[in-house]
Amino acid sequence: MPAMKDDDDRVFKALADPTRRFLLDRLFRRDGRTLTELESELEMTRFGVMKHLRVLEGAGLVVTRKSGREKLHFLNPVPIRLIHDRWIDKYTERRVSALVDLKTELEEGSA
Amino acid sequence: MTTAADTERRTERTMEKVFEIYIRTTPERLWEAITDTEMRSKYTFGTRIHTEWTPGARVEVGHPRTDGPLSEGEILEVDPPRRLVQTMRALWSDDVKAEGFSRITWEIQAISVDSCRLTVIHDQLREGANDELYGGWPMILSGLKTLLETGELLTTPGSLMYDS
Repeated sequence: MPAMKDDDDRVFKALADPTRRFLLDRLFRRDGRTLTELESELEMTRFGVMKHLRVLEGAGLVVTRKSGREKLHFLNPVPIRLIHDRWIDKYTERRVSALVDLKTELEEGSA
Repeated sequence: MTTAADTERRTERTMEKVFEIYIRTTPERLWEAITDTEMRSKYTFGTRIHTEWTPGARVEVGHPRTDGPLSEGEILEVDPPRRLVQTMRALWSDDVKAEGFSRITWEIQAISVDSCRLTVIHDQLREGANDELYGGWPMILSGLKTLLETGELLTTPGSLMYDS
């Protein structure tokens, strides 16, 4: 399904940058921050931070909500969970079952 | 020095968590998956929700293998297939019980003929609240997406939680 592949691409690309991971970590510690708050913790222009936030929003990792006149940024961990369920689970499961197979084989071999 | 006013301010401070997911389905099917006890139990770790789905109605969530309810609450708003608001108080441990009531809002928005954006806003949480209260949402929403898009069940640590 190409649509799903595009979604995953965007998440991996968004995560492949230390500034964007730093922004996610800041939001993990405290959610619902304004651009001004996020900008104050980075040695970067407002425009630069905005650009990174747009990439994170495009990947669904950051969600914004209006609160009065302010735009608040929230960390959305759901796309990471989807990647986990799609990729990580699959491979860790295989590794565990490979170890179980190896153990069975070794035990049977020694019997 | 901590004054009574400081303590009061600290307990009054709340936080808000936002969870968003895109699902290939219609708002009506998504609404059904959220409000139908059978369908819902498939992606909420086998728990069963009991409520009349009308404003003011009591909500109780239990599981066949646990004694007593896991959470309770009240329905605040019902606007099918768009918006559902309820309060929730977790009851599965003394720690989470002490957190009291928080609020859960489900928002469904059709973004094309066959896709919806689902946003779950979990707010009125105490600042620094126990993350057991909201930490399960990504797993629940991922399971809901899998169920609606493939008809299959997603095996997650959560889905195995009450099995053994």
